[in-house]
Amino acid sequence: MLTVTGESFRHCDGLTRRGFLQLGAPLLGLTLPELLQREAAAAEPARASGSGKSLIVFWTDGGLSQQDTYDMKPDSPADFRGMYRPISTAASGIQVGERCPVQARMMNKIALVRSVHHENGIHAPSAHWVLTGAFGPTLARNAAQKPSLGSVIARSLGSRRPQIPAYITIPKSEAFGYQGAVYLGKSYNPFEVGADPNAPNFEVPNLTLPKGLSTRELESRQALLKRFDTLRRDIDASGGMAGLDTFKAQALEMVAGDRMRSAFDLSREPAALRDRFGRHRYGQSALLARRLVEAGARVVNINTGNWDHHNDIAKGLEEHLPPLDRAIGTLVEDLSERGMLDDVIVYCAGEFGRTPRMNGNAGRDHWSEAFSVMLAGGGIQGGRVVGASEKNGGGVADRLVTPQDLLATIYGQLGIPLNTHYNDSAGRPVSIVGTGQPIHELL
Amino acid sequence: MNRSINRVACSRWKSSSEMQMTTGLLRTLLMALPALLLGSQPAVAGPESSRVTFGLDVAPVLTRSGCNSGGCHGKAAGQNGFRLSLLGFEPGDDYAAIVRESGGRRISRTDPARSLLLLKATGAVPHGGGRPLSPGSEGYRAVLNWIASGAVPPSPGDPTVTRVVVEPASGLLVANSSRQLKVSAVLSNGARRDVTRAAVYQSNEPDLASVDANGLVRTGVKRGLVTVMARFGEQIATFHGAVPFTRTPAQAEAVSRRLASLTPRLDASPVDRHLLRQWRQMGVAPSDPVDDVAYLRRVSFDICGTAPTPAEIDAFLADRSPDKRSRWVDRLLERPEYAAYFGLKWADILQNRGAGYSTSKQRAGTALFSNWIRQALAANMPYDRFASEILTATGSQAENPPTVWYRTVRKGPEYVESVAQAFLGVRIQCAQCHHHPAERWSQSDYYGFAAIFARVGRKGGFADAEVPTEEVIYVKDGGSVQHPRTGATMHPRPLGGPEFGEATLEDPRAQLARWMTSESNPFFARTLVNRMWAHFLGRGLVDPIDDSRSTNPPSNPELLDALSREFVRSKFDVKQLIRTLVGSYAYQLQSAPNEWNAGDTQTFARFYPRRLSAEVLLDAFSQALEVPTEFTGGPGRFPAGTRAIELPDENVPATFLDVFGRPARRTACECERADAPALAQALELVNSAEIQRKLTAPTGYALRISKDPRAHPEKVREVFLKVLGRTPSADELAASLEHVRQEPDGASAYRSLLWSLLATNEFLFNH
Repeated sequence: MLTVTGESFRHCDGLTRRGFLQLGAPLLGLTLPELLQREAAAAEPARASGSGKSLIVFWTDGGLSQQDTYDMKPDSPADFRGMYRPISTAASGIQVGERCPVQARMMNKIALVRSVHHENGIHAPSAHWVLTGAFGPTLARNAAQKPSLGSVIARSLGSRRPQIPAYITIPKSEAFGYQGAVYLGKSYNPFEVGADPNAPNFEVPNLTLPKGLSTRELESRQALLKRFDTLRRDIDASGGMAGLDTFKAQALEMVAGDRMRSAFDLSREPAALRDRFGRHRYGQSALLARRLVEAGARVVNINTGNWDHHNDIAKGLEEHLPPLDRAIGTLVEDLSERGMLDDVIVYCAGEFGRTPRMNGNAGRDHWSEAFSVMLAGGGIQGGRVVGASEKNGGGVADRLVTPQDLLATIYGQLGIPLNTHYNDSAGRPVSIVGTGQPIHELL
Repeated sequence: MNRSINRVACSRWKSSSEMQMTTGLLRTLLMALPALLLGSQPAVAGPESSRVTFGLDVAPVLTRSGCNSGGCHGKAAGQNGFRLSLLGFEPGDDYAAIVRESGGRRISRTDPARSLLLLKATGAVPHGGGRPLSPGSEGYRAVLNWIASGAVPPSPGDPTVTRVVVEPASGLLVANSSRQLKVSAVLSNGARRDVTRAAVYQSNEPDLASVDANGLVRTGVKRGLVTVMARFGEQIATFHGAVPFTRTPAQAEAVSRRLASLTPRLDASPVDRHLLRQWRQMGVAPSDPVDDVAYLRRVSFDICGTAPTPAEIDAFLADRSPDKRSRWVDRLLERPEYAAYFGLKWADILQNRGAGYSTSKQRAGTALFSNWIRQALAANMPYDRFASEILTATGSQAENPPTVWYRTVRKGPEYVESVAQAFLGVRIQCAQCHHHPAERWSQSDYYGFAAIFARVGRKGGFADAEVPTEEVIYVKDGGSVQHPRTGATMHPRPLGGPEFGEATLEDPRAQLARWMTSESNPFFARTLVNRMWAHFLGRGLVDPIDDSRSTNPPSNPELLDALSREFVRSKFDVKQLIRTLVGSYAYQLQSAPNEWNAGDTQTFARFYPRRLSAEVLLDAFSQALEVPTEFTGGPGRFPAGTRAIELPDENVPATFLDVFGRPARRTACECERADAPALAQALELVNSAEIQRKLTAPTGYALRISKDPRAHPEKVREVFLKVLGRTPSADELAASLEHVRQEPDGASAYRSLLWSLLATNEFLFNH
């Protein structure tokens, strides 16, 4: 892992990048996986003493309409206003849309940012922008792909407990493939749950010891593997071996302990609580995320939607919004009741918002000029609104917030030094936040 | 070699700050660069064209700014009522959209700076696409000038771009440095203009060298070959760069000495001499050769998808003849596993898909086709005939199993794309809706190709599912394809080939097959050769293997040419090609890098390891533990002992195969087979009921060896041979003996030993 000391950052073995480059051929010849392995090895002790915080993301794939949820415009003309009325919340002076009653009740714990802005209106590059902080690749723009926030956090902090993957997506990663690790190394890709936690037969395969395999035999297998798995790793430049190494170690620990299995066992939650979260994919995913974070996961990403409501937005929101609101609101409430809210950031965002004015098909189109995200917990102060959009929506009227600012806020709260850099596959150090600054009004 | 080019390279090296190059090293590198430095294009003289035109001045701005990209106004439906042709390939339509549509409000002739087009693009009025243009930028000024000078429409008399020139066309790059490209457009009126800041760029190896929007190429620490494409309008040109591996004069000397010692051997081989030439160019020396044991394991997996048995290993080691490797290769090629393993590969490429065809009558189709493929491979059917029989198939699946290809591939676009990708190594998907952004293919190419299949007729048996059962494929008397934009009826024409004769009674598919398999076809033999090279050497000479473009050239063109010529000369003899590949020097190198070739992923200076594919890996477990996998599917169960590589289609439930990347056979792309590592794979190895069953079966090897009366050292040796194909080192033997002697339960002791070897990367990878 790269640790950061003032201006010049140091490599795991104490070398600065300059020193590293000056060493010449033998070290320059290290392959990426070899480097990753060294870094992973060096990172182990640091992880134990790292921050105790985690992150749960609700990713609103396709773009959630800010003007029907977090940024109501009740005084605007009808085609801007939309179909929902605003409702008051537990935080005085803050209103949200009427399909967000559960979050409204928890608004003292929740913060809204209404002035997020970036400069693209296409799903893939915009998703890349919000998930990684950088404008993404398009046909016209030959930009390299960057690692997602989940992978950056997994790489920087690791899992809180070795039996649990650091970074998990439910049910799986979004379609553009921008929730991955890219040059951070394949072992920092998310573990995909691959199933709907609300399904009656929900199960993650291979978490239970098969019949006839005792814990003792498993331990002896583990010890022997360590002895024999000695093939030179620098023979593989693809990252495949390094990734599989990490996963093998993780799988052995996972299976040896009960932690992973029990974390995925939603039946251990009282039925009443499961009902409170909502018997819906979003609600049960939120509950599962809480269990995974409790067990030691660092980042759980719940993919929701599709929210790309170009046509008949009322129909789409009626279907998706109440369960999402319930999932987020109940999660905040539940974390708070358990005394976990200071240690878990809850974050709801998508690639952009939707046009302030309804289009001819009773829908709203893509809008990145000014849109909203929601944050709670992990030291984020609730009951606050940062920034404002213009009178009828449109542009940012006050306090422009960039995707990099959001990342800086989250990384900072999780205890990741903001001057951390990771080398891309061409060997260039790349900042994890670029020019992003934490949103101090939230802290 | 051109002396002036030498001087260019020379001055570049001298100006580099990376290191002080001595003339000695320079000479070493430059003498080796004939093919790399192809020479810059000759300068084209001519007056600079000054008149502002839509096609040359405005459309490129829309492209560079992403306005006409596929996610924005360039998509078929446009964006918010404003539609542009994708990447500006249709200037006439774009002009109409900008100037005429929407009541003409997109431009303002009286106050050009207040044109909605510019106000939107700069974000002065709300714009969902952000602010792609900044006021005052070159692009902004170009559009402004055009409007101010009367927004003249494109006309047939306007100069067009006849070609684009990148300078330099090739060159050496220094690691951690940058180099500016210069791009010029040569116009139809003879003029030449600098379009460096108007072109669009793309690097085929962004990790090695990236390129920014203005043509500045930047290298990092990686070394190897890179191609940068510059596109202006429909024209494309490329820059070929190389970042050599040698870093100091001493290294260059050492590499050159080493290569000199290999020269007599490698120069004598029609394949190896091209590798040697590239190693010289790149200043890289190959790893050491592999020993017999490693070679046998490698070649057994690569030809038969099967691990060598301990008996085979012993026999191979005992064989003292100098040509034993080639004789064993001959033997492997005659084994049924060769046909099964390559049959699996072809069934993926030919999309022999079971899912969706599960009625009892349909089900037989995939089995018939996969048998047909296997028999063709076993009999070494010439590859030209293999492809022709599939493409021209008629009849029912029972009479002619290749018709099953037509069961999966059913429509115009599917014919075009599957044939182009599987047999021609071309991804032509883009050209269905627009001109290919990185190749010469147009919609006319696409639909001309589709017209070849216009007369494919289908007669159903009885339709008891979405897809009729026992469909019969025949050739209709007529049938045509229209160009989607012009509406013109397309004449059948293969990609880059001549139109087929009109109104002939002959099946156009037969003409396609003849064109494709003729000796001069530029795609057919090369694609197969490249596919097989990738299979055996771990990466295509063109990579990805089915994405051949001028902008994605082979890493070693002379080698690909030589192999292709030889393949044609052999009358498309696939087994002979395999013999050549596994007999090459590169195939017989160790995967461990030496001090010069670490980081090499393009020049084959070492063997590139890969994880065993899903089916091969599962079979290797079954073989090592002597417990076959039980496959259910179709009616009942497959016969006991059926191997994963023998399954007729992908529609056989097996979690192991899915988590290790078995493809769904939805496309003709081998890339559908995933090889990325995942936690789910590790969990399958560590904890699946299937692996545990194989370890504990009463008839299995684990129990048998634990009860075997021989002494532990002998048994441990056999276990290592069986799993890893080699004997244990002294340390490994000691560790194993300590383990089996300490473990009171003998069965458990050998189970653990076996499992821990099966979970090593040494077992999981072919290396």
